[in-house]
Amino acid sequence: MTDLSIGTVAIVGGGLTAWSAAAAIRRRLPSIDVVIVPAPVSRGALADRIISTTPSIRGFHHDIGLTDADTVTGAASGIRIATLFEGWAASRPSYVHAYGAYGAPVGGIAFHQLWLREGHSGSLPPFDHFSPAAELARSGVSPDSGSDSIQFGLQLTLERYSALIRDYALHLGVRLHRGSFADVTLRSSDGFVDKLICEGGGDVSADLFVDCTGPDALLHSRSDPAFVDWSPWLLCDRVVFHNGPPDPTIVSMDQVTAVPFGWAWAASSQKVSSHGLSYSSNHARAEDIDSRIGGSAAEMIALRQGRRRDFWVRNCVAIGDASVSVEPLEWTNLHLVHSQIDRMIDMMPGRDCAPVELAEFNRQCAAEADRIRDFICMHYVCSRRSESFWTDAAAVTPPDSLAHTLALFAERGRLPFYEEETFSKDSWLAVLLGQGFEPQHINPLTDAISSDEAMRALTGAAFTSPPASANQNSLNPRGIR
Amino acid sequence: MVNDSRLKVVIVGGGTAGWMTAAALVKLLPARCHVHLVESEAIGIVGVGEATLPHIRAFNEKLGIDEADFMAATRATFKLGIEFRGWGRLGDSYIHPFGTFGSGQGELDFHHYWNRARLEGQDVGALGDFSMAVTMAYMNRFTLPDADPARIESTFNYAYQFDATSYAPYLRRIAEQLGAKRTEGRIIDVELDGESGDVRAVILENQERIEGDLFVDCSGFFSLIIGKTLGEPFEDWTQWLPCDRAVAMPCRTRTALSPYTSAIAMPAGWRWRIPLQHRTGNGYVYSSQFTSDEDAASALVAAVEGEPIADPRVLKFKAGRRTRSWVRNCVAVGLSSGFLEPLESTSIYLIQAAITGLVELFPEREISPLDRDEFNRLIDLEYDRIRDFLILHYHATERDDTRFWDYVRTMPVPDSLKEKMELFRRRGRIVKYREGVFLDASWIAVYIGQGILPQSYDMRAGLVHEASLTDAMKSLRTRIRTAAEAMPEHREHIDHYCPMPDAA
Repeated sequence: MTDLSIGTVAIVGGGLTAWSAAAAIRRRLPSIDVVIVPAPVSRGALADRIISTTPSIRGFHHDIGLTDADTVTGAASGIRIATLFEGWAASRPSYVHAYGAYGAPVGGIAFHQLWLREGHSGSLPPFDHFSPAAELARSGVSPDSGSDSIQFGLQLTLERYSALIRDYALHLGVRLHRGSFADVTLRSSDGFVDKLICEGGGDVSADLFVDCTGPDALLHSRSDPAFVDWSPWLLCDRVVFHNGPPDPTIVSMDQVTAVPFGWAWAASSQKVSSHGLSYSSNHARAEDIDSRIGGSAAEMIALRQGRRRDFWVRNCVAIGDASVSVEPLEWTNLHLVHSQIDRMIDMMPGRDCAPVELAEFNRQCAAEADRIRDFICMHYVCSRRSESFWTDAAAVTPPDSLAHTLALFAERGRLPFYEEETFSKDSWLAVLLGQGFEPQHINPLTDAISSDEAMRALTGAAFTSPPASANQNSLNPRGIR
Repeated sequence: MVNDSRLKVVIVGGGTAGWMTAAALVKLLPARCHVHLVESEAIGIVGVGEATLPHIRAFNEKLGIDEADFMAATRATFKLGIEFRGWGRLGDSYIHPFGTFGSGQGELDFHHYWNRARLEGQDVGALGDFSMAVTMAYMNRFTLPDADPARIESTFNYAYQFDATSYAPYLRRIAEQLGAKRTEGRIIDVELDGESGDVRAVILENQERIEGDLFVDCSGFFSLIIGKTLGEPFEDWTQWLPCDRAVAMPCRTRTALSPYTSAIAMPAGWRWRIPLQHRTGNGYVYSSQFTSDEDAASALVAAVEGEPIADPRVLKFKAGRRTRSWVRNCVAVGLSSGFLEPLESTSIYLIQAAITGLVELFPEREISPLDRDEFNRLIDLEYDRIRDFLILHYHATERDDTRFWDYVRTMPVPDSLKEKMELFRRRGRIVKYREGVFLDASWIAVYIGQGILPQSYDMRAGLVHEASLTDAMKSLRTRIRTAAEAMPEHREHIDHYCPMPDAA
C-alpha cells in the first residue's frame, strides 16, 4: 500500500447532520475512530430542522442498521407518501407529487405519452390520478410502515429522531469531545487542516475533518471559500417557520401552497406539526409575512442558496448545509446529507486525500446538487401566476441543463437522462404535467399502440389499479440497497 | 392512402446499417414513413461486426425476431465475452466478460476483495475465476442465463457471433414484408435544394431520380451524402487509435466452438478470431505506419488455424467520427458517421444507437433543430466513451517489443482517460456512469487483465477476517465452477437450439 488508511475522523457540529455522519461512518467503516467536536451549528442548517424527508431516508436507516420500528414507532415519526401542490399554476387544480410510478408503460411506451395523446379529447382524469400512491394520499389513508408497495418518507419528530440518532451513534462507539470548537489551524506546507483548537478541552487532530456546521461552514470555508451562487435562478432568500401541535389531517401528505411572494408548507409528524414559508424578501413586505405566519414563535432564517464549488478539499469535507444551501421545496435537505455521507463512505480516500480521488467525489456531489437545483427551479419556471414574484421567478434564464431538459420535454415529452439525478422521470412528470406544461408532440413510437388499446390501459389504470410494486428508483438509489 | 403525411425516407446503402434502419423504421413507425432503400449489388458491403454486444438482443426482440431462427440463419454462435491475448504483456491473457465478477450481490464490487487478498500475498488465482461468464467461456459451456438474481447462473449476459453478410438479407426479408421498397442501382449524383441546401433526391445511373424528405446515409466508408455531398468534417482520432487497415480471411472451423471472440495482439496491431457455426472469421487490424500490407497478410496467413476459405482481403479506414451525424435532412448511420475498430465489437451497437435515436426523435413534418442537436449529443456521448475504453486497451501495456506497442504505450492519451486510470490504480475505483455501453465490470476486466493493479482497496474490503475471506473466495470459485460444469457444451447447446441449415 502506498498510503495509509484513514484512522480518525473528527466531525465538527452537533446537529442531526453531524450525528448521522458519525453513526454511518462508525457502522460502515468500524475501523475508523470517530469523534464529534461540538460547534455552534447555524440556524440555517435546514437539514437539521425540516421535518419532511424523502424515501431515501429509509435506505440510510437500512445501511446503518436501523429499522422502521426504531425510526417510525420509536421516534414518533409520521409516514409521508406525497406532497399536495396547490396554486402553483393558477386556474389549474391542485396536483400530487407522490413517489413511484405514474401509470405503467404499455408495450414499452411510456405511460405519459399515451396519456398525452389520448387526453386531447379532454376525457381523461388528471395525470396524478394514475399514481396509486397519489390516490392513496388524496384519500387521506396512511399506509402502515410495513407496506412495501408504496414508497414513503418520514415526517420527523425532530427532538425524538435526533436523540435516537445521537444515542445510536454513541452506542456504536462515537466519542463526544469535551471541549468545543473554537478555531482551526492549517498546515502551512500544504493547507491540510492540522488541528481543531477547542475551548474547555484539548485540541483535536484527525486524518479527516467533516464540516457539519451548516451554511457558515466554519471549517470548510477556511480551506476553500469558493461558493457557487444560485440566486439568479432561485429567488427565495428567507425561510420562516414554527412548530405546533400535531395535525392528523396532514400526516401522510404535506401541503405546499403558492402564496403571492413564495410558498407555504404544512406538515405534521405524530407529535409535532410544522408550518413555514419560503419567500423572496424583495417581493414580500414584513406585514405580509406576519399576516401569514404570525406569532412570536416563528423563526426567520436568511438563506443564501447555492453550493460550495468543491465539497471535499484536502482533508476537509463539507456535508449537508455546509455544502449546499437550498430552500426546502421537495424536502431535499436531509436527502443531500444522507447521499453525501453515502458517497463519502463509498469513496473514502487514503490519508493523503489524493486529488484524483476527491475529484470524483466532487464531480458526483456537484452533479447531484445541480440537478436538485434544476428540479426545484423547474417548479418556478413552469409556474403560472400573475404576482410579480411569480412572473420574476418564471422569467429567469434557467441553467443550461434545465433549459435542455425543458426544451426537449416541450418538443415531444422526452426527459433526457442526467448522471447523479435524484428525482425520477415520474417525479419530473408529476410536476411538469401537474402544472400544465405539456409537450407539442409525442414520441413517434406511441403509434404502435392503438387508441383502443391505450384507452383500455388508461381507464384500467386510473383509480382501480393496485399499488405498483416497490420501485426503488423513484429517488436516486444512493443509500437504498 | 388515408395518411399522406408520411415522410419519405430514402436509405442510401443496403449493408448491415441500411437494412437494420429499414427494418426498424417500417416495423416501429409504419404510420410515419415510407421507406425506400437504394443499394447496388455491385458495390458490396463491408459486413461489419461479426461479433456483437448483448444490446443486439433488444433490437432483434423489438423487430419480433425469433432468436433460434435468427441464429440458425446467420450461422451464429453464442458470445460470453472477448479474450485478449498478449495485450498487457506478451503471454498474458484475460477475458472481458459480459457479466459481473463475484455474485453481484454485495455492497462492494468484488474486485476489492480479490485485490486485498492479492496484496496480502494470498494465492488468489485470476480475477476471471470469479466470473461466471469467464469460467463458462474457458470451459466452452453455454446455456441461457437464469432469471433468479440470487443464483450465480444469473450473473452473465450474452451476445452473438454471426455471419454479418447474412444478417442484412435476413433483415431485408422482414423489411420488405412490412413494406420497405428497394431499388437496385448505383447512385451517381445527389441533388440539393438550391435554397435550403437540404438533400432533395438521389440520381441513379439509369437517370432514375428518387426524392425524399429524409435521407439516411448508410453508404459505409464512402459516406456519400454526409461526407462527400454535405462536407461534414471528420474528426480524426488516429493519434490515439493508429490502426488504419485490416486484412481479413475466413477459414474452416476446426477446433471446439468457443463461446467467445478472441483479440490477439500482433506486432503492429491485433488479430480477431470469431468462431461461427460453419467457419471462423479472422482478420488482422494494423497500423500502416508500422507495417506493410504484404507483411500483415503473411502474418495473418501464418497465424490462422484451419484451412483458409478465401484469399486475404484488405480494408482501409480511419478512426474517428463526423463532427455531427445528423446534418440538415441527412442522418448518418453506421460507417458513414464514423469508425471505431472492432476491438470491442461496437460497430453494430453504434448502428443500433443511431437507429434508436432516429426513431425516438423521428421528425414531424419539419425537422426540429432541437431534435437534431439531441441526436448528435447522444451519438457523441456513445463515441466518446467507447473511444476512451478502446484507447485504454492499447495504452495499458508494458510492451515495448515492437515500434507499434512502444508508441501506444507512451502516447499521450485524453485527460479524461488519464484520470480514470489513475483513480483505478490508486484504489480500484471506477468512474461510475449509469449510461454508456461499457459499465464497471468491463473497465475492471481490462484494467486488471492488462496489469493495472490497484495499489490499495476500499476500506470495507478490509473489514472481513482474513481466514473468512479466503474461505468465501474459495467457495465462490467452487460454486461458479460447479455451475459451469453442469451446463452443456457450447456446440451441444447450439446443435439442440439453433443448428444452421445444412451447409450448401
